[in-house]
Amino acid sequence: MLFYSFFKSLVGKDVVVELKNDLSPGDTRSAHATGLWENVFSYLEDVDKGIQEHSESYLSICGTLHSVDQYLNIKLTDISVTDPEKYPHMLSVKNCFIRGSVVRYVQLPADEVDTQLLQDAARKEALQQKQ
Amino acid sequence: MDECGLAEMAEEDEEIDIYNNETFGMDMDTEVVDTEGDPTNPLFQFGEKPPALPALPSLSPSSPPFSPRARPQLRVQGPPGRRGRGQRGGQAMAQMFEDPAVVRTVEGRPSLQSLDSAIVDVGSVSYWDDLDPDAWMLSSYERTRHASGSVLQDPAIVCVMDSHAPGRGPNYLDSHYPFSNSSGRRGGLRGSYSNRPFGQRCPSQINTMLPSSPIVSRRPFTTQQPYNQVGGLPSPRPCPSTPQPLTPKMMQLRFGANSPRPSPFYSPSSNRVQRFRFPGPVTQLHPQHRRLLSQRQQRSQRKPDSWDPYCNLMSAKEKEWIIRLQMIQLQSENPHLDDYYYQEYYRRMEAKLAEEELGMRGKREPPKLTTPYVTKMDSYTPVVHIEGSLGQVAVSTCFSPRRAINAVAAHCPHEELKDIRQQRLDVLKKIEKLFMVLLEVEEGQRMKAQVLGEGEEKGLMEKTEIKVEYIYSQLQHPDLEAEEEFLPCLLVSKGKQLLARLLPFLSHDAALKVLSMVTSHLPVLMSRDSDESLPVLYPSLRIVIGGMTFSQLIGVLKDFTASLPDSSDGSVCLSLVCQSKFGLSLLYALLSQGERLLSSDVPLEPSIGDFETWTDTVFLVASQLSQSALVEPLLLPSNLLTLFCRYLDKRTIHQLKSNMESATGYLALPS
Repeated sequence: MLFYSFFKSLVGKDVVVELKNDLSPGDTRSAHATGLWENVFSYLEDVDKGIQEHSESYLSICGTLHSVDQYLNIKLTDISVTDPEKYPHMLSVKNCFIRGSVVRYVQLPADEVDTQLLQDAARKEALQQKQ
Repeated sequence: MDECGLAEMAEEDEEIDIYNNETFGMDMDTEVVDTEGDPTNPLFQFGEKPPALPALPSLSPSSPPFSPRARPQLRVQGPPGRRGRGQRGGQAMAQMFEDPAVVRTVEGRPSLQSLDSAIVDVGSVSYWDDLDPDAWMLSSYERTRHASGSVLQDPAIVCVMDSHAPGRGPNYLDSHYPFSNSSGRRGGLRGSYSNRPFGQRCPSQINTMLPSSPIVSRRPFTTQQPYNQVGGLPSPRPCPSTPQPLTPKMMQLRFGANSPRPSPFYSPSSNRVQRFRFPGPVTQLHPQHRRLLSQRQQRSQRKPDSWDPYCNLMSAKEKEWIIRLQMIQLQSENPHLDDYYYQEYYRRMEAKLAEEELGMRGKREPPKLTTPYVTKMDSYTPVVHIEGSLGQVAVSTCFSPRRAINAVAAHCPHEELKDIRQQRLDVLKKIEKLFMVLLEVEEGQRMKAQVLGEGEEKGLMEKTEIKVEYIYSQLQHPDLEAEEEFLPCLLVSKGKQLLARLLPFLSHDAALKVLSMVTSHLPVLMSRDSDESLPVLYPSLRIVIGGMTFSQLIGVLKDFTASLPDSSDGSVCLSLVCQSKFGLSLLYALLSQGERLLSSDVPLEPSIGDFETWTDTVFLVASQLSQSALVEPLLLPSNLLTLFCRYLDKRTIHQLKSNMESATGYLALPS
């Protein structure tokens, strides 16, 4: 419940949600289908490409966090896409519901995050799981 | 039948149609649906086969009159959300209900498929006996308008949850089972609850996903209810047949047949902009959060109602069902633990705002997140090591969202570095373990604030003391000298945080020891404070300074004027201090405490040479401060200039004052 509790505190704040766009053949999730070693080598190639290049190729939606549930599904309002030229179909979308499993990153306002409290919450959660 | 009777019946039929529309989305259509042979027809899902239906008259006003009969005793059996079929089948259904043959047929146990599986099983028979068979005939609008409320404040839901004692399941074979007496409609609870006072309910349309816009409710969510719901539910209104409340663990959700449909406690909103209400207890918004969101909403413009043609695709009942499902999963016996971050975050914010209001400081609005411009990196280091981290940092790539953190460095070219890293790792691991203990100490402190018996409080205090002593002893490195025992911990930012939080629990002597350690190793700490985490110690140390005697103060001040080992000039340390926010603030705090002690009537009981040391220190500090470029301190005490005025000439004071003011940006007025 840690992430849910954390995201609840961000309701009403502006966030940027980056989605998992596609499953390319080199993705490790498809390793079983295409062969393990092939994917290991292609993974190593992609490591060299760097994070940013891949970040730019994924859909990022900026909006106000309207609500979140225990599955970390997210509702955003007043959304805008960071790359509208690449995703013109999103221009008319005002609000959206994003399934939690397709979220890659959520960029948060730094001022709204209490890292010390987050650490404490993580410790409590770890302690709870141990018990 | 006379025209008045016809008109009445027509009106009733319209009301039935409206009700059906709202509940089941069935459209009203004059076309008679031939349900015979239709496998999806709920009528066929009972044990008995219904008789062939005669041709039914239409319900148009010009139709031949039929004898007024008792209101149908049936519950409408349409599946939810099928808006398309509604109109077509609704009138036919209404007509069929008039037929005694049909009435007899459906008067039995409904099958699971015929009912909405989301209906929670009441498990109580007598519950239905209280229903008013006439109540359901109220206009659905009237009914729903009055019946608003949160999901868990609705007595139906609460009753449902209360009633799940072991062994008290629904008995479908019980002839007294309420289905036959259900007044011919599903959700027989509606009637009995529609007359409940409006104020006892919350506004409609609860969303289990926390909303960002808690609209101003007609009646505010019961603020009298404690935010931290013990057991995760408000005290339920006792169900007529189930007086004893149950804890969330005992509450079990059973979906099944004969489960009553919950009351429609909110009307289908004519406002197409979706209004989100406060969710239930576990996901209830903190009052502070609610205030912030309502302020934000007031600032934002409202969109026109008709801007989104796809609003309200789901019926209110469907939304309610899903909300209920999700909210039940979120029930918790210990919301303080399960929802720790959220509760603690807003509690702190509330405390901070209250403090600011008292201090008349201006409120700062949280900055709006702007989409960051992501610059392309020229080089990419696949393995990043950040100082102070446990091994490698998890660097994410598109094919490997998160690498496993390698807690142990596999290969290190230099043995010395390996040793240093290993030592650092050990210190960090120890700090983490001590943090766990500290959290228990803080939790104990929080519980102590609650009402406890004397014995319990004493036991709690003893446990707290033992834990604090344990942490304190663990922080002292065994291999180091007495003066350096806390140093490994203080060199790590996490260790500073730990000490800062531990200081309020330490005895005065122990805290003084920590302060002496800090001041005596200040140059080292300042030089190694790359992430500027030293200021975290300031608030706790300031409190310790406030409790020092004059002699203790002199001893600590000597550390500030002490020379570095490789320097002959005693002012080198001071010059370093002037460049550090933490160091300068600590120095100011010490001088302010000295001035406060000298100005007060409390007997100082100084040791021999204390006053001379004090005077020398003041002169030395004043000359250093007037010459060096000062950084802005964390806090500038108001009695500092008064202290300097006592010992220094006007010119020096003037220079000092301008130097301090230029650093802080505001006047350093003497008290």
